[in-house]
Amino acid sequence: MGYHTSLYVFVFLPVCLVVYQLMPAKWRWKALLFFSYLFFYLLSGKLLVYLVGATALTHYIGAWMSWQRAQEAEELSGADRETKKSIKLKYRRRCRSALAVGILLLIGVLAYLKYYNFFISNVSGVLLWLSLPFSPGEKSLLMPVGISFYTLQAIGYMADVYWGKAKAENRFGRMALFLGFFPQIMEGPICRYSDTAGSLFAGAPLTAENLSQGYMRIFWGLFKKKVVADRLAVIVGVIFGNYTEYGGAYIAVAAVAYTVQLYMEFSGCMDIVIGSGKLFGVCLPENFRQPFCARSASEFWRRWHITLGTWFKSYIFYPVSVSGIVKRWNQFGRKHAGKYLTRLVTSAAALFPVWLCNGLWHGARWSYIFYGMYYFVLIMLGTAVQPARNKLLSVCHIREDSGYWRVIQIAKTWVIIFVGELFFRADGLQAGFHMFASMFRDFQLSLLWDGSLLGLGLGRADLAAVAVGCVVVAVIGSLKERGEPIFVRLVKTSVPVRWGAYYALILAVIVFAAYGDGYQSVDLIYAGF
Amino acid sequence: MGKMLKKGVLFFTVLLVLLFLASIWISALAAGMADRVQGRNRPVAGITAEEGDTVDLLVVGDSESYTSVSTMDLWKQYGTASYVCGQGGQRIQEAYYMLKTAFRTQSPKVVMVETNMMFRDPGIFKNAQISLAEPLRYYLPVFRYHNLWKLLLDEPKEMTSDYKGFVIKEKITSCKGAEYMKETGEMQELPEFVRFYMRRIQDLCERNGAQLLMVSVPSPKNYNYKKINALRHYAKQNGIPYVDMNLKAEEIGMDWSKDSYDGGDHLNIHGAQKVTAYLGKYLKENYGLPDRRNDAAYSSWNTLAEKFDTEVKQKTGQ
Amino acid sequence: MEDLIRILRDIDDSVDYGKETALIDGQILDSFGVITLVSELEEAFGITIEAAEMTPQNFNSAEAIWAMVKRLQEN
Repeated sequence: MGYHTSLYVFVFLPVCLVVYQLMPAKWRWKALLFFSYLFFYLLSGKLLVYLVGATALTHYIGAWMSWQRAQEAEELSGADRETKKSIKLKYRRRCRSALAVGILLLIGVLAYLKYYNFFISNVSGVLLWLSLPFSPGEKSLLMPVGISFYTLQAIGYMADVYWGKAKAENRFGRMALFLGFFPQIMEGPICRYSDTAGSLFAGAPLTAENLSQGYMRIFWGLFKKKVVADRLAVIVGVIFGNYTEYGGAYIAVAAVAYTVQLYMEFSGCMDIVIGSGKLFGVCLPENFRQPFCARSASEFWRRWHITLGTWFKSYIFYPVSVSGIVKRWNQFGRKHAGKYLTRLVTSAAALFPVWLCNGLWHGARWSYIFYGMYYFVLIMLGTAVQPARNKLLSVCHIREDSGYWRVIQIAKTWVIIFVGELFFRADGLQAGFHMFASMFRDFQLSLLWDGSLLGLGLGRADLAAVAVGCVVVAVIGSLKERGEPIFVRLVKTSVPVRWGAYYALILAVIVFAAYGDGYQSVDLIYAGF
Repeated sequence: MGKMLKKGVLFFTVLLVLLFLASIWISALAAGMADRVQGRNRPVAGITAEEGDTVDLLVVGDSESYTSVSTMDLWKQYGTASYVCGQGGQRIQEAYYMLKTAFRTQSPKVVMVETNMMFRDPGIFKNAQISLAEPLRYYLPVFRYHNLWKLLLDEPKEMTSDYKGFVIKEKITSCKGAEYMKETGEMQELPEFVRFYMRRIQDLCERNGAQLLMVSVPSPKNYNYKKINALRHYAKQNGIPYVDMNLKAEEIGMDWSKDSYDGGDHLNIHGAQKVTAYLGKYLKENYGLPDRRNDAAYSSWNTLAEKFDTEVKQKTGQ
Repeated sequence: MEDLIRILRDIDDSVDYGKETALIDGQILDSFGVITLVSELEEAFGITIEAAEMTPQNFNSAEAIWAMVKRLQEN
């Protein structure tokens, strides 16, 4: 029961809404918890124990840390300056060990389920290469849904409690809801405790605004997913599935098609997720901000899967960059190596773990690791050439914000994105390189209009639907980029206009969505990560 | 709260009206190009486009039905006006709403259910989904025919001709068939939702003055003794006549070396003609369906039968 | 406070630090800028800035940064 299924949108959600509303306000969060666990159970069955285990661990470590804090405060009162220092140090050490235990256990489970087979198969490969007669077997491990997402949320919560940014939650059930809230369990967004906790437990009554805005957001997501993404899935499947038979512009088409599919799918799913939260008055953070308007690779990542980027920044990038060793290098470097080099090395030291984790987070495959490293190298290159670039611009009298320069930058970023997604989607790193190389052989752009596209499984009508869908999404996106968010405006208009727009959207989804006879339902991509 | 409720009711009423209007429009569109509708909706559009009150025998079922019951052979031999509303992998829910659709314009005397679909159980989720989607498609055809706009843009595809729902398959893939019916006393359980919808089908036929008949066509891949036992038991319990052709395969003259086109799953035209001959005799003896061959209103059926003969000859080289 | 403004100008001199209140949220200071700033601040004011302090609220304006520096000096 993915978020895009009619079962979720038209049965599960309404039932959940009715039960939620019928409960007295202080029990409503319990209704949400019940439906969250039901949802998880329907998807993953007994693997629910992993979620319960992670919840218990997170909850008790948080609670223990806050209890330690209370004791620390008690000891501190009335102690003199010197003892204060040693008391603080003692409790810090204790909390730090608790945090370490928590993170290691959570990561351990995730790593075991997600990376064990990858690790084993690579070890076997090496052993085979050394012709050692020992080969450890792979295991068939079932991953509970959303483990990559709730694990990050759990770690973030523990770190926030450790840093004193969040107060520890004292009720187990609430922690369970924070980690398991059904709209976000499968694909995020990855929330901070302080983002959602308040509204999750508030038990706000349903309102007409929330219901209509929430459901419209859901329909907007369905439009992206079912009108555009599910159709493109056909082309993408054909070319990536038989990549040896295609070359030249076909590969470019596949890379673009997959990028658009992934965007429509993931951001559409986020629309459904955020809309679902909105129905209950829960404000979930946005995960996308017109990523195709980005002017550089690093800006792209501030607009694409935002909550993942934010998580890495808060819990990997900053902690590494203020760690002792990096700081010492910083001081040493500025004295001896100059500003430029210092900055470069510092950036590399802090960014490398971020991008390695980004790649690995998507799954245990060399192509994902490559994908992470690809962005690491590109962003480092961007930093490295920045001074030279700035100089060049001022010599050529190009203004940073002039229109054509902006277009060039956006186009450059598009190429970077498409190539990245090509490797990301390709069936293994080897296939990725094969495809990338074959793109430069026999590149005939004419296939875009000579009818060759029709040989990829989609008819003229389906291609037209994709094109129109993309235009609609692009127009609404660029309006938003210019500060005219159409959905926000719509809320303020008169009833006939607003309802007209609602009806148009609903009918567009009913008529143009790829469902029913002749279409295969396509599972959510990010739910697999 | 009251105002919110009123507004909500108004919103959904308008939405319903819009969907209803769209449905009327799209149904008219579908009727106009019934011969171009493809896939699962083809028999739905087809039976709706048939001249009213002309069909005497209606068949529902999965792919077994439209590869086995040769409507044109029934016509040529007995003058029976039959129509096969079978769909690939038809679900029992689809069969029910197919019949409901057919009964709007037709008043068949006999409704035949090919029983293979009665063992299909796609699991609780899929079942719930189909049980909700089918009535939606029935009452608001905009959901059924929503893809129709594509026909306006796509190049016309070459259609396999179908003869009142029957499809000619000429390929021969032989199989060992003889021993698939090993006698046993065991029964394969019929899913509960199948029983539920079969009861609804039975009621529906009763209300519309049609006699219900269950038929199992010969298929080594799909049938076995356990299933036949279950079907016999169910038919007896509910007072539905039941014809099993798997145990009578010899009497019918099935030759598994040349009567199936995919190795014992579906029948080819040779197998279908044998099964149809047997079925026609059975129907004649038990139901006395009218012979329409000389009825002027049915002249198009004769033309179609000639076309059928030509295609069979051309495909089988006989 | 003057020392702080001098450090900030050193990183980016096109900003009016007296008025600007969205150094982070408005992405005037990127993450490398923040890192550079942190190490400069530590050196200039003899403080240790930990990961816990790395929040937009602490870095959005010169005033906020100054408040953080003073708080850390007192500890």
